Amino acid sequence: MPRKLFVLVSLLMVVAMVLSGCTTPPAPVAPTSAPQPAAPTTAPQPEAWKAKYNTTAPDPAYGGAFKSIEAVDQYTVKFTLNVPDPAFLPKIAFGPFEIHSAKQLEATGGGGAILDTPLGTGPYMVKEWVRGDHLTLVPNPNYWGEAPKNKEVVMRWNAEAAARLLELQAGTADAMDNASPDDFAAIQADPALKLIPRPPTNILYLGMNNTHKPFDNEKVRQAVAMALDKQRFVDNYFPEGSTTAEQFMPPAVQPGYTEGLKWYGRDVEAAKALLAEAGYPNGFDVTVSYRDVVRAYQPLVSKLAQEFQSQLAQIGIRVQLKVMESGAFLAAVSAGQEPMFILGWMQDYTDATDWVDYHFTGASDDFGVPYPDLVDAIHAAAQEANPAKRAELYVTVNELIKKHVPMVPVAHGANAIVYSAKVEGAHASALNNEEFRVMSIAGKDQIVWLQNAEPITLFGNDETDGETFRATNQIFDTLYWYKVGTTELVPSLAESYEVNDTLTEWTFKLRKDVKFSDGTPFDANDVVATFVAMWDAKSSMHKGNTGVFEYFGGFFGGFLNAPAQ
Amino acid sequence: MGNLAEVRNLRKVPQFVVLEWGVPMASFLVRRLLLLIPVLFGILFVTFALARLIPGDPCYVALGERATEEQCFHYRERMGLNDSIAVQFARYMAGLARGDLGTSLRTNQPVGEIVLLRLPVTVELAVVAMVLATVVGVILGIISAYWANSWVDVVTMIGANLGVSLPVFFLGLMLAYFFAIMLKGTPFWLPPSARLTPGLTPTPLVEAFHLQGLTGLPLTLVTFVSNMATVNALITGNWKLLGDALRHLILPAVTVGTIPMAIIARMTRSSLLDVVGLDYIRTARAKGLREQMVIFRHALRNAMLPIITIVGLQLGGLLGGAILTETVFNLPGVGTGIMTSIFARDYTVVQAFVVIVAVIFVGVNLLVDLSYAYLDPRIRLQ
Repeated sequence: MPRKLFVLVSLLMVVAMVLSGCTTPPAPVAPTSAPQPAAPTTAPQPEAWKAKYNTTAPDPAYGGAFKSIEAVDQYTVKFTLNVPDPAFLPKIAFGPFEIHSAKQLEATGGGGAILDTPLGTGPYMVKEWVRGDHLTLVPNPNYWGEAPKNKEVVMRWNAEAAARLLELQAGTADAMDNASPDDFAAIQADPALKLIPRPPTNILYLGMNNTHKPFDNEKVRQAVAMALDKQRFVDNYFPEGSTTAEQFMPPAVQPGYTEGLKWYGRDVEAAKALLAEAGYPNGFDVTVSYRDVVRAYQPLVSKLAQEFQSQLAQIGIRVQLKVMESGAFLAAVSAGQEPMFILGWMQDYTDATDWVDYHFTGASDDFGVPYPDLVDAIHAAAQEANPAKRAELYVTVNELIKKHVPMVPVAHGANAIVYSAKVEGAHASALNNEEFRVMSIAGKDQIVWLQNAEPITLFGNDETDGETFRATNQIFDTLYWYKVGTTELVPSLAESYEVNDTLTEWTFKLRKDVKFSDGTPFDANDVVATFVAMWDAKSSMHKGNTGVFEYFGGFFGGFLNAPAQ
Repeated sequence: MGNLAEVRNLRKVPQFVVLEWGVPMASFLVRRLLLLIPVLFGILFVTFALARLIPGDPCYVALGERATEEQCFHYRERMGLNDSIAVQFARYMAGLARGDLGTSLRTNQPVGEIVLLRLPVTVELAVVAMVLATVVGVILGIISAYWANSWVDVVTMIGANLGVSLPVFFLGLMLAYFFAIMLKGTPFWLPPSARLTPGLTPTPLVEAFHLQGLTGLPLTLVTFVSNMATVNALITGNWKLLGDALRHLILPAVTVGTIPMAIIARMTRSSLLDVVGLDYIRTARAKGLREQMVIFRHALRNAMLPIITIVGLQLGGLLGGAILTETVFNLPGVGTGIMTSIFARDYTVVQAFVVIVAVIFVGVNLLVDLSYAYLDPRIRLQ
């Protein structure tokens, strides 16, 4: 018997060692509502409403765009900016600017429990979140808008497009995001499925950094611009629905895209002549870097890279390809270390500032030293309130990009969602804002949605990835939002807005009939608290998941009371 | 060799004989366990360093592609990544000594929680797969050995060789395609992925048995068991859940178990054939024993040693296979956990999982050694 005892003891020791680090109890099931019970709303003597979180920057020169955020009255919020911002509305309509409950922000300090027990005003609330496995949403009984057309949405994830499609074909899922372009034909041939392409709002480009020789020479960059056969890229390496890029911004960006402005035509002889003029009659050697990750703008990136290599060889540019790890690649590009690189961009909000301001005004060193005339043109366009005049100014911007060629725009890639043919209300949004509330299946209460990855947290204010926003967009509302499946802005938590002529004072009138999913009423304090929590680094609610509030910083230039580096 | 040497050996160390096998077995065990300490320390250090050698910066994964240097600085500061590796390692070890595996860089969840959610999934899969592999493998091996060199043997061994050569990823997708798509609408249909049908959720044992007062290790153990869907269903008597969980387990278990099964079958065959040629088997047959008795009582028992070694070794390899299988079948286990956390450069989580896999591997090896000593008295005495 002692033998058995020894085996048993050793087994127990191994198990104990394995588990020694896991003494924290898990929470596989998230509660359906926030941990903080709502304060009673039926007090016999209602207290007078008070603005609690109004904040003004003491020194407007602190470096950020916001001057003040105030609740003017219970249902009016006013944002005052230091600089005009014509894109303010689309910016705050973007997922990360979802509005939270001031009470929950305060109770959690804007971190911890708020990350996975969301309390929102949106059409859905969380039933359970089994991390790693699935997230189940059920309709929010207090939702102010039209009730969802289904009784439950189960969100699941799988990084493999083939495996996602298999599930859809097997009938264990009803919709999947990001079908592989290889499968488009098979999906279209299957009557049980429907493929809905997303209008392309991205770009693939070949970047050149003007601090590296020979790209300091404009003629060299123009020669590269003439060397590429974009149609060949689109025909061979992109799915149906993709188009060649004639400008940096795709046609959907209005104002921004200039109708009729074409890129250089392909002309190998002229390109060679330009290279010779620039002092490179025999071409030159260059390393082209890229990262091996699939994006809508680079579905088959290794093949794209080889295509660049062979096309550039035709004008005498001998390319050596360098594949890099994604994070390292982005860091190197934005530090200006890569002379020539294959990269792309996906739109966050529908405004030209999301495209040209980040890339060409020196916010990053991707393309080297900014071109001063281009920077001026971009700034002028960004601050113009009149849409027609703005469109005019972007003509100059697009022409200057074409002249200086900081990069060669190549293609706008399409991607697509696949639905079971039974799903009604199936749609695809150019901004990835698909809304579950309009989807239904006859005779079935549940929709199973498959995407690439799990949400990281359910606190969109401090996240950056689309997989997270897909979930948070269903749970929270922003002040303005988009008409289902379009890029048309419509009122959401705000009923209307007013803006002054200089585009610095944005005043929003809020809906009065809105409640959070736990029944607590929504008012201006919630909006102000949400924005102040992001803006003021010293706020007791400024915690989040990473603590960086990337999109706020990126869109509005800086934080109040930011710690010195 | 053998007998004479053994007898001499016994004379040299008479206390072994006097004290039976208890003392050498115990000292063997203690020695092996003490050896675990440097091994574990080594594993911790190497995984700590390796995790940080994965190219790429967690900052760009966490903050997205447009993060600036300044934002990254603040992020790293907050996550303690600006300190030197030595300082980080010291901090990590100090946490570990307190039973704290740290928090995920990506989601801010305690790593212990993540492990408790994911490890049971993999353990469940590995156990079912191993049982399947061993039972089927040994049976196939016996059949093959019994009818050695007949067409049965040839067919079985071709099957086994195919099983070893099939990439897990391919086999998984093919099985999923066959059972989930081609058999759609028939009673043999099996789900191609996930752990349970959406909508079905196991009741945590803590709730089912009102154990809310539990803390510490007991709570961890209960939660661990609770998170194995099949075991949970058995304990709570939820037969619908059990059926659903098993249906979801079949394809992944077959996928993970195929390679070990094939190896076990080959090993059983060759080991049995070795033994069957020995004198005592001939004697057994000559005595007129029934063939079943000869094979199961005499031959198989003596052929077991190499089989057990291979089963133990395969359990380690199985964990590797589980990573791919979990990805194909979308199971929320350690495998997919490692994949996601590597892509997210979530160092603390990668580390915890790698350490756990390593500990399991070391533990299983220890068990194999012990079972050796248990099965073969000669080994204890060496």
